[in-house]
Amino acid sequence: MQAITVENLSKTFRVKRKEKGMYGSIKAIVHPQTEEIRAVNGVSFSVEEGEMLAFIGPNGAGKSTTIKMLTGILYPDGGKAEVMGIDPTKKRRQLAYLIGTVFGQKEQLWTHLTPYDNFRFFGAIYDLSERETERRIGELAERFGLGNFIDTPVRNLSLGQRIRCEIVASLIHKPKVLFLDEPTIGLDPVVKENVRELIKEMNKEEQTTIFLTSHDVGDIEKLCRRIIIVNDGRIVMDDSVEHLKHHYPVKEAAQANEDSFASLEEIIVEIYKSEESS
Amino acid sequence: MRRVKREFASGSLRCQAGREARCLPWRKYAVIYGSVLLENLQYAANVAMGFFSYFVFIFIFIKLWEYMYRTPGELIAGYTKEQMIWYVMMTEMIWFGSNAASVAKEVSRDIRGGNIAYLMNKPYHYTLYILAKYTGEWSVRLPMYAALAAVIGTVMVGPLPRFPLTGVWAMVVCVVMGLTINAVFKLCISLLSFWIEDATPFQWLYDKLILVLGTMFPVEIFPEVLQPLFKLTPIYTVCYGPAKLIVDFSLKKCVEILAAQAVYLAAGCGLMFLVYRKGVKKLYVNGG
Repeated sequence: MQAITVENLSKTFRVKRKEKGMYGSIKAIVHPQTEEIRAVNGVSFSVEEGEMLAFIGPNGAGKSTTIKMLTGILYPDGGKAEVMGIDPTKKRRQLAYLIGTVFGQKEQLWTHLTPYDNFRFFGAIYDLSERETERRIGELAERFGLGNFIDTPVRNLSLGQRIRCEIVASLIHKPKVLFLDEPTIGLDPVVKENVRELIKEMNKEEQTTIFLTSHDVGDIEKLCRRIIIVNDGRIVMDDSVEHLKHHYPVKEAAQANEDSFASLEEIIVEIYKSEESS
Repeated sequence: MRRVKREFASGSLRCQAGREARCLPWRKYAVIYGSVLLENLQYAANVAMGFFSYFVFIFIFIKLWEYMYRTPGELIAGYTKEQMIWYVMMTEMIWFGSNAASVAKEVSRDIRGGNIAYLMNKPYHYTLYILAKYTGEWSVRLPMYAALAAVIGTVMVGPLPRFPLTGVWAMVVCVVMGLTINAVFKLCISLLSFWIEDATPFQWLYDKLILVLGTMFPVEIFPEVLQPLFKLTPIYTVCYGPAKLIVDFSLKKCVEILAAQAVYLAAGCGLMFLVYRKGVKKLYVNGG
């Protein structure tokens, strides 16, 4: 079964333009000017249930906008999307019970509360019973190794501990699809590896579909089998990570490394560059 | 079993596949309220810092009305001196006690800064989430200001004559309703941030309308031509009604004010949900 289906999804933003200086400011009041920016331009793809997909692209490519449309935060201008058979624009709150989100650059935990209180809070938000919440906290705290700091206020946790708690909070209601937006940003290599292992384990045991965006190639290599590369709001590549690594003709990188195959990072850089130049 | 069926039909039993939760729809808002209450209890000392402003404000008004009321027992606009000062103390108590950031600054900031995106993707209604937070905020502030008002009033003015202890419950309900109506209207103004760059000027206008016309003087002080007009504004339900009930309680007035508040709250909530539903489609959150 498909966890996510997207057909011709589009989103255009209208951005205000202002000329520089005082004259520009006054002109912007009298005669405001706007420019249309097509953040997502007719994107189509589907994700199988239980699949781990990397959805990557350079800054401003339309990754986060796509995630926000899939989670019902933004309304698309065109096309349609379904997540677990639900249209996010029509039944956002119903969909919220089936998805989890982790935004590495944004805290969703309440910093004055301990992780434990936060998890209980999220359990109530997702309409879990007390018993179910306790059971789930116990299960996830053990798997994610939160025992030592589960009763420490979130504001006193290290970044790595906080990210682990963020992931647990987003999993408390056993979501079918987990959207991870740069979950390992700012973490040291050891903690990154640890977080990746936990995500992988969780996908294996709970069959959670993972939709990952990250600039960290390590995340993609360690977690995902399939990769979608977007640029300028369009899909430029939809392939398996293995196939891409072994069949993408990277001249510069291969020459530089004297390897038969270029690394995934080099391939991705080459794709970004070729897209930029075209 | 019949009750479970009824709850299920009304949507209160919202069980996802395999989930055993008996879900009361208001439980999550109660949890939000409780969490904010806990947070604000930690900062109760900060609330006390505002006591000085309140005291100065009330002190000026006590002196002003002592000057205005030259003879004992004199009535101005139907109020005795004690009633007039207690009226101002009650409205200012409501004003200072409900002066929380969540319904005004926080909502505007959430919308303009894009933080709303991370709050919307949870299974609650954003506006009710904010109202629950706001209630948690004033639940700490208001009782502290109420205690201060009671002390200042008793020491400097004397207890209110004919204060009916049996009507306290109605007064509390009336104050809570007034605060909620105020929050709903402030929230409606903040939600304008979906369309305009900054809703602060509108917020400022609304605040000044309540502060100047609603808290400093009772409606009866103003010319008779304007009084019916004032009763149509939120002033009547937010501050005049609750304060009037405290200084001059009558069952008839209580029913009248509560009925007006119910109508106002229903209309305000309708407007709030409508503005939010329209506005959220305009949301512009670029970038990750």
